Amino acid sequence: MKKTTYIFLAFLFLLTTFTSFSQEQRFPKPEFETGYVQPSPETPEPRTASMELVDVAILLLVISLASYFAIRRRSRTGILGLTLFTLLYFGFYRNGCICSIGAIQNITLAFTDPTYAISISALLFFLIPLIYTLLFGRTFCAGACPLGAIQDLVIIQPISIPRWLRKTLGIIPFIYLGLAVLYAATGTDFIICRYDPFIGIFRMDAEFHMVILGIAFLLMGMFVARPYCRFLCPYGVLLNWMSRFSKWHLSITPSKCIQCKLCTTSCPFDAIDFPIQEKPANSRSNVRKFILYALLIPVWMVAGSFVGMKLHKNLAKAHPDVYLAELLISQPELIHDEDNIDVQTFMASGKPLEALIEEAKAKREDFYMGSIILGAFIGLVIGSTIMNQVVFRRREIYQPNRADCFSCGRCMDYCPVEK
Amino acid sequence: MDIKQKLQIWLNTSIVSGIFCLVVAILLIFNFWQVSSHNPLESEALNVLVERLSQEPRNDELKQEIRNLDLLARKAYFNSQWQVKTGTYLLLFGAIIFAIALRFYTTLKSKIEQPGQQVENEQLARVLSQKWLIWFGAGVLVLAVTASFFTVDHLESYSATSAEQTEKPEGTPEENIQVVQVKKDVPEKQETVEEEPNTTENKENIEQEKVVQPSPELVKEEVVTTQPKVQQPSVNAPSDRDIKNNSNSFRGAFGNGVSTATNIPVSWDVANGQNVKWKTTLPKHGYNSPVIWGDKVFLTGADQQGQELYCLDKNSGKMLWVGQATNVPGAPEKPPKVTEDTGLAAPSVTTDGNYVVAIFGTGTIICFDMEGNKVWARNLGVPDNHYGHSSSLLTYANKIFVQYDTNRGSKVMALFISSGETIWETKRTSNISWASPVLAEVAGKKQLVLTADPNVAGYDIDTGKELWSVDCMMGEVGPSVAFGEGLVFASNEYARLVAIDPTTSEIKWEDDEYLPEVASPVVTNGLLFIATSYGVLVCYDALNGEKQWEEEYNAGFYGSPVIAENKLFALDMDGIMHILEVSRDAKVIGTPELGEEGFTTPAFANGIIIVRGNQNLFCFGN
Repeated sequence: MKKTTYIFLAFLFLLTTFTSFSQEQRFPKPEFETGYVQPSPETPEPRTASMELVDVAILLLVISLASYFAIRRRSRTGILGLTLFTLLYFGFYRNGCICSIGAIQNITLAFTDPTYAISISALLFFLIPLIYTLLFGRTFCAGACPLGAIQDLVIIQPISIPRWLRKTLGIIPFIYLGLAVLYAATGTDFIICRYDPFIGIFRMDAEFHMVILGIAFLLMGMFVARPYCRFLCPYGVLLNWMSRFSKWHLSITPSKCIQCKLCTTSCPFDAIDFPIQEKPANSRSNVRKFILYALLIPVWMVAGSFVGMKLHKNLAKAHPDVYLAELLISQPELIHDEDNIDVQTFMASGKPLEALIEEAKAKREDFYMGSIILGAFIGLVIGSTIMNQVVFRRREIYQPNRADCFSCGRCMDYCPVEK
Repeated sequence: MDIKQKLQIWLNTSIVSGIFCLVVAILLIFNFWQVSSHNPLESEALNVLVERLSQEPRNDELKQEIRNLDLLARKAYFNSQWQVKTGTYLLLFGAIIFAIALRFYTTLKSKIEQPGQQVENEQLARVLSQKWLIWFGAGVLVLAVTASFFTVDHLESYSATSAEQTEKPEGTPEENIQVVQVKKDVPEKQETVEEEPNTTENKENIEQEKVVQPSPELVKEEVVTTQPKVQQPSVNAPSDRDIKNNSNSFRGAFGNGVSTATNIPVSWDVANGQNVKWKTTLPKHGYNSPVIWGDKVFLTGADQQGQELYCLDKNSGKMLWVGQATNVPGAPEKPPKVTEDTGLAAPSVTTDGNYVVAIFGTGTIICFDMEGNKVWARNLGVPDNHYGHSSSLLTYANKIFVQYDTNRGSKVMALFISSGETIWETKRTSNISWASPVLAEVAGKKQLVLTADPNVAGYDIDTGKELWSVDCMMGEVGPSVAFGEGLVFASNEYARLVAIDPTTSEIKWEDDEYLPEVASPVVTNGLLFIATSYGVLVCYDALNGEKQWEEEYNAGFYGSPVIAENKLFALDMDGIMHILEVSRDAKVIGTPELGEEGFTTPAFANGIIIVRGNQNLFCFGN
């Protein structure tokens, strides 16, 4: 059977899975009085605290095992087994929630909203992977992240992405992280959760556009390995930073690299750094560029701040109060739209429109400073990423790029060197 | 087991699980198509039965049949849901097996890797990265800035509009009121007045004109008054008798629905021209009702292109002049969104014989003299009204009364009819409404009576002070009040019908059996008439609320019933004029038809009735 046939079948599977999701629809109440009493809607009970701690314990176990398999046992099979377990437990059983990626928002909101009490499990889900990454590299990505797991399993024919494209797309996670923090800090929304492309697949239920997005990511993931992890994941930004300083990190070879080059194509994520022994030919020019780019970083930040300031009204439109106020101003006839739950809830509250508008304006003020900071942050990221392109570090051997390596262990299998 | 056998097993597993997935997927697609194309509640058979049920509401057998069909549809629906869910899990299971088998197969087939070649020159790649990062970064920032310029800032626009609305009355009138010199040859007497004007009443009106400024002690916080800065042209206001002899506002004199006109025709035939004096088509559509003064008939029409006031000759139906509401300071460039059944020209005009004033759904209020010369125009701020503004204007004692209840706040205002300047403006605590003001004479003094959710209230016409208020209404109030027998009658669908004594603010009686949606009640000779939108005409004893009779028709009423010559004229939506005697028994006098739909209220003058149909304006006369 050719690989194209697999691809076709996989595509068909995804397509048909989507059709099943889109069949969820509401069904109106019966028209006649039959004596049947319509049950009142019930809010599902939250997961008990003890079960939340079980989740934390399982995360701890999985990430510990992943670190063990990656660094001590050097077992790709072990990591693969953990990937499958994570997909089933944190993905399909726990429906993708709680996850460390989304926990960023809980942490942010806990800092900005004194009335918000963060759960201990959310805090631990946020901290444990960061601590482990600081010690062992991104072993969380390797075996404990359900989003990474589902993408890892669909990698069929990965292609190498050129450096310029990787670096350029690599800016997006920073922008996403900044937006997620801004929206969480202003109490607007948890956009990471709302736009999680795989949550619909884990839950077997999602809005149409999210199903399409999930399918698109999986289809893309067959050729561009782990596209969400590499070019979107906001938690990956933090893990990337931590992993650079990791004390123990997975190595391709267990002993001395013999420069056999067998591993060079083993990484589907282009996360292997090749040896650089010679100095760049135009090193003086690079020094000048480095100074120039370093000096331009504040310029990028000021430009970003200005853009953030200009854009704060657009960004604020996502806040429910601002959205509702603008909706009622632009379409006042919606006051009588019984199907519009937002409007009807507001009307039922008895609050005058003026009060809502005042609240919306106050919320927009919050966005003013937040957007400026966001803009400056994005400017800083762009400026420093450009600057990093002229920094050369000498390397003797083939080694994983600590920032980008997911510690999946694929490369280890390719290394002929025995311990 | 050797590697070949293992390969064969995993290959076979892949094929079997792949085919399994394919079959389940096809079944799911079929199920999806079936569910999407057969909505059980939109079953044609069910709709037919439900339609039949509306005609035979007591047919129990039919009800049972619908129940059975409904149950069947629901069973089919939920069965299909079960199939979808089960199919999804089967597909997932098959896909997992497929993925595992495929992975093992490819692992077993893998060959020894060849050393890879470094195809990318790192230095060149870094240079390229720098370029792309610069372009990408700059692009993101430029795009973001560009996006910020395309933001529609509704919050700011709302603030601006609100400020405009609140500032206008307090601002310099010269800036926003277009004052046009009134023609000197404005007739001081009306051509068609049959009796000499009552000079005493005129004097009273002039006196009122002099004391339009409220005394400081009467001004409460919610009453905003403005000092007129433009010299008011000295024009006599018409007497009460002049007003009664004309039909100068929506629902006639004082907006109360009772006419003094005589010799009104009770039969006509549009097809053969019997009693049809004239029939004309107006350039633009509108749901406003005709207003008559002397030999002139006034109406308005509007569409997205413009708003117009029409003056027609009462005797021939010929258009005498058309007043355009153009170049009005503060008027929106684009009319606000309104529904088709309200439009931009729902409010009726008002006239005092010297001036005729119209208001439109854009918030533009415009005044012409009787010869069609524009006197003034201003915009009161675009009314935030999800159907469209429909409160008609009312004039008395050189004032124009404007009920301006919108989603952004409610107020009632009095403007000088000659200049448009605000005399007083009172903020109201009520919600949006579509009713029109009515003048009631309580304890010998005229007062303005308004109805809205939640209150019916009376206002001093000179100061705007709220004299009394009764919380008794709810919902979207469309019908105006009626005044008679010393009582104010207010009603609205889904609320109630109440009779209020304005001197004590006491509700004398109330009822909720028949309630109007749009048509206003009318009262005369101790009898109150209600016309509902579902076609029931009801007569109550005005003093005790006892129902006298009810008549049911095929079509409902949006046009308000009016009284002339002790006869009730009620135009239903099919265009049939139901003419009944004002009595405690339902005595039908005639049911002439327009031959087209009718949603407005007729106007009377001696010997004629003028009715606006949905397409044409008719004048019937003996």
